Amino acid sequence: MQTAITVPEDLWEGDGEGVITAWLVNDGAEVAQGDLVAEVMVEKAQYEIEAPVSGVLAIAKQEDEVVAKGTAIASLEA
Amino acid sequence: MAGPLDFSSMTLQRPTVEEGLVAEEALLDMVCQGEVEIGWLAWSPRDRGLVMPRRHERLAGFPDARDRLVERGWPIRFRSTGGTPVPQSEAVVNLALAVRCRVGSSAAHLEWGYHRLGDPWCDWLEVLGVADADLGPVPGAYCDGRFNVRIGGRKLVGTAQRWRRVRGCRDMALLVHGAMQVGDTPEALVEVVNAFQAAIDDPQRFQGASHVALTQALPELDLDTAIPDLLARLVEARPAPA
Repeated sequence: MQTAITVPEDLWEGDGEGVITAWLVNDGAEVAQGDLVAEVMVEKAQYEIEAPVSGVLAIAKQEDEVVAKGTAIASLEA
Repeated sequence: MAGPLDFSSMTLQRPTVEEGLVAEEALLDMVCQGEVEIGWLAWSPRDRGLVMPRRHERLAGFPDARDRLVERGWPIRFRSTGGTPVPQSEAVVNLALAVRCRVGSSAAHLEWGYHRLGDPWCDWLEVLGVADADLGPVPGAYCDGRFNVRIGGRKLVGTAQRWRRVRGCRDMALLVHGAMQVGDTPEALVEVVNAFQAAIDDPQRFQGASHVALTQALPELDLDTAIPDLLARLVEARPAPA
């Protein structure tokens, strides 16, 4: 089963976009639910994105790509 | 205590740049793990460094820039909050505040976080006799953002944040940080950042006239006496939204 990792809707107000500043694990790596997987920066604020479920990570958006709230940045294959 | 820093202290501490950055991370960890609801730290480094988010390491010219900055006596260090390069030295005072809060439509956001730090900072300046302190952007300043603490439109304090979800619940832990230039000339610190810009072949240059040092506004101020009041205002300002 595949689960998307999305930029949460409640991380910041307004419609401003963020940028993926870091992937903390490699594409194809196995992660556990709750592990920190990525960082997104908006207005000099770094937000940590965690894995919603355990699984194998497939990165869809690369470092330095611009993302909006709700964007799927990766998926996890359980 | 975390290393050489005392997290219960209301006074200005003087670690190395690296020790101060590590302590700020530890402060966020403490809040995230539920050890405290709020934590704080005031520090001014006793050495020097040019501090930036780690993503700058990916720049093509970074290895050469790092070597050039070391030669100038400004080794590059990495921080966990956002933004762009900022010089750290004895001329800079850092205040960090970590709080547990809940995000959502009527609760905490990044703007809330910036006001949580910046509003008491402006109040503190006003009490000291600075009439024109506010929050806002400063064109021409390094590491500019919408929530600098300004004096007369010039950047005194740069601010940045890091947010981490508290495991197992909807609460978030926020680390909000301010770096205030207290001494030296604005031109001296701007020159360090511009040297990095040149080394990575980025044409953007910053202006000394966009910055101000606290000594220019309050030349007689005794920092060691004044900082505890600023810390107290930050800690007591407003409770985290539930």
